[in-house]
Amino acid sequence: MFNTAHKKVSLFLILISIFYVILAINLPTYPYIPVDSEVVPVGLGVVLFGLSAALYFIKDEEKENHKTAKKEWAVVLTVLIFVLLYIVFLDVLGFLLVTLLFLFFCTWFLGYKHFVANAIVSVVVSCGLYFLFTQFLKVTLPQGILPF
Amino acid sequence: MDLHGLLTGFQVAFSLQGLLFVFIGVVVGTFIGMMPGLGPIAAISVMIPITYGMNPAIALLLMAGVYYGSAYGGASASILLNAPGTSEAVATTFDGYPMAQQGRAGKALAIAALSSFVGGTVGVILMTFFAPLLARVAVVFGPAEYFALMLLGLTAITSLTDGSTIKALISATLGFIFATVGIDGQTGTARFTFGDAHLLEGFQFLTIALGIFALAEVTSLIFKRKEKLRAGNIGSLRLTKKDFKEIWGTQGRQSILGFLIGVLPGAGGSISTLISYTMEKKMAKHPEKFGKGEPKGVAAPETSNNAANTGAFIPLLSLGIPGSGTTAVMLGALIVLGIQPGPTMVTDHPDVFWGVIASMYIGNIMLLIINLPFIPYVAKVLRIPRPMLISLIIVFCMTGVYATKFTSFALFALIGFGVFGYLMRRLHFPAGPFILAFVLGGMMEQDLRKALTISNGSLKIFLDSPIALVIIIAAFLAFLIPILQNVIGKKKQNQGISV
Repeated sequence: MFNTAHKKVSLFLILISIFYVILAINLPTYPYIPVDSEVVPVGLGVVLFGLSAALYFIKDEEKENHKTAKKEWAVVLTVLIFVLLYIVFLDVLGFLLVTLLFLFFCTWFLGYKHFVANAIVSVVVSCGLYFLFTQFLKVTLPQGILPF
Repeated sequence: MDLHGLLTGFQVAFSLQGLLFVFIGVVVGTFIGMMPGLGPIAAISVMIPITYGMNPAIALLLMAGVYYGSAYGGASASILLNAPGTSEAVATTFDGYPMAQQGRAGKALAIAALSSFVGGTVGVILMTFFAPLLARVAVVFGPAEYFALMLLGLTAITSLTDGSTIKALISATLGFIFATVGIDGQTGTARFTFGDAHLLEGFQFLTIALGIFALAEVTSLIFKRKEKLRAGNIGSLRLTKKDFKEIWGTQGRQSILGFLIGVLPGAGGSISTLISYTMEKKMAKHPEKFGKGEPKGVAAPETSNNAANTGAFIPLLSLGIPGSGTTAVMLGALIVLGIQPGPTMVTDHPDVFWGVIASMYIGNIMLLIINLPFIPYVAKVLRIPRPMLISLIIVFCMTGVYATKFTSFALFALIGFGVFGYLMRRLHFPAGPFILAFVLGGMMEQDLRKALTISNGSLKIFLDSPIALVIIIAAFLAFLIPILQNVIGKKKQNQGISV
């Protein structure tokens, strides 16, 4: 399992380096400069190619001995979905509401059962952050559907 | 050195009003510095409107307090949450976060506070005596010399890895590759943006750092969310005599080194912390302890950071040249107060010049006095139940990124880097070299091309400059020696086994 993992990684990186070099070579040229914008990227792509190839051949000494249960991955994926929903609804519902909902539901989902404490912290933190940034630091956060 | 001027400065600083404002500055600065995305720049910018109409000397005391406070706040976030808010705070995560994980958060924070104090104080002392001399040296550094210096910083890569060197180099190369995204500084060509306007500025340090450090750590925390933290997990704050003995050498060396690097405009905490960390690791009797919670690993970057921030004032005050974003904002603050820094400042406004220096001494002391008692409360962050801590860190990071970029694209990028960071961890690719190469690589490329433009494409410019040449040779040695040691060490190991 470990050998194929890092060989897979090295093949993936080799492909990336080739893709990168192709993109770099196709950059528009600028006539008035000795070292143009594609020189360093091409160099980096070549270096990455060389290193990835070397990675393919070295013996992997790392021991990958923890297998994570499918259930745990489901938890991580759910949190990820919560986060993506947060980003999508941020401009729609506004920072305060979205943060409040996220804090409450994510904490509850991850196993914190104290409903009241959770609610209090969610409200205090989201209101606190919102007013800190908008009033004190004068940084605009999405207002969304709220009147303030 | 104008003793009378310095004493006048101290007189103002020690007044009741002066002390009060330094106190306010340090507290506000620390608080703001702890938020990811907000660092000294944001903290000082916020304070400027408050200083309208204030006595300039008192206003400077406020600014000094904010400056140091926010630098320390950033260290707290690095140590407790593995969430470095500025590039200067990255090196503190290397040993600070492991120390917190081992139940020694109190000690780590205390070392950070003490080291910041030592670095800042030594920096101010050096500044008092050497300001005019160093100002003249600072302008000798051109693109070739900067390139060499950053190359030296980049060699820290080989020291930042205990595992596979190849993987560290691949991480670094990838970091450098990410730095090439965006509009090229020399030609204006849009590189690797795929036509997306959001990528024209390139990736932001904060997005990447929070993604690969904080969010990747959050993912690990999700797997460990059922674990209970041991009681007494903050550890004692007290630094024993043994601790002091261990770190005072580090603090002495790195404050001088950090200061000298900070004097150079454009080179600041981000480079000095990495060079200091690497240097201490190489000089240590047990270098393998670094990265696993070695106190020197916290002392070195924190000392260096504050010393560099102090050194950055020299080009600002003596030449009117701000060397970094933070000093640029300070320049703005001074102008708002009616002071024009520059060569005439010492002669026209000696009271202000020495007032700035006096306020820096006081700011440093205040930082230590105020922050040490607060450490137990700050460290209580670690006692928050894991599920809640996870949600809070996620919100924290997203707020920080949004507050600086204001686009959902940046948030998606943050999440993307979080996933990428976690993959890197699972596959044992170190994150340190990645972020290092990202920060330094971008600047290095620009300096390299500026140098080659000046020399019309000839590499001889690096040979002609003695400073650049010496630093480049040092960089190559610093890069190769650990690799050679590694290879020779492995060979000896293999021989030992087969015999």
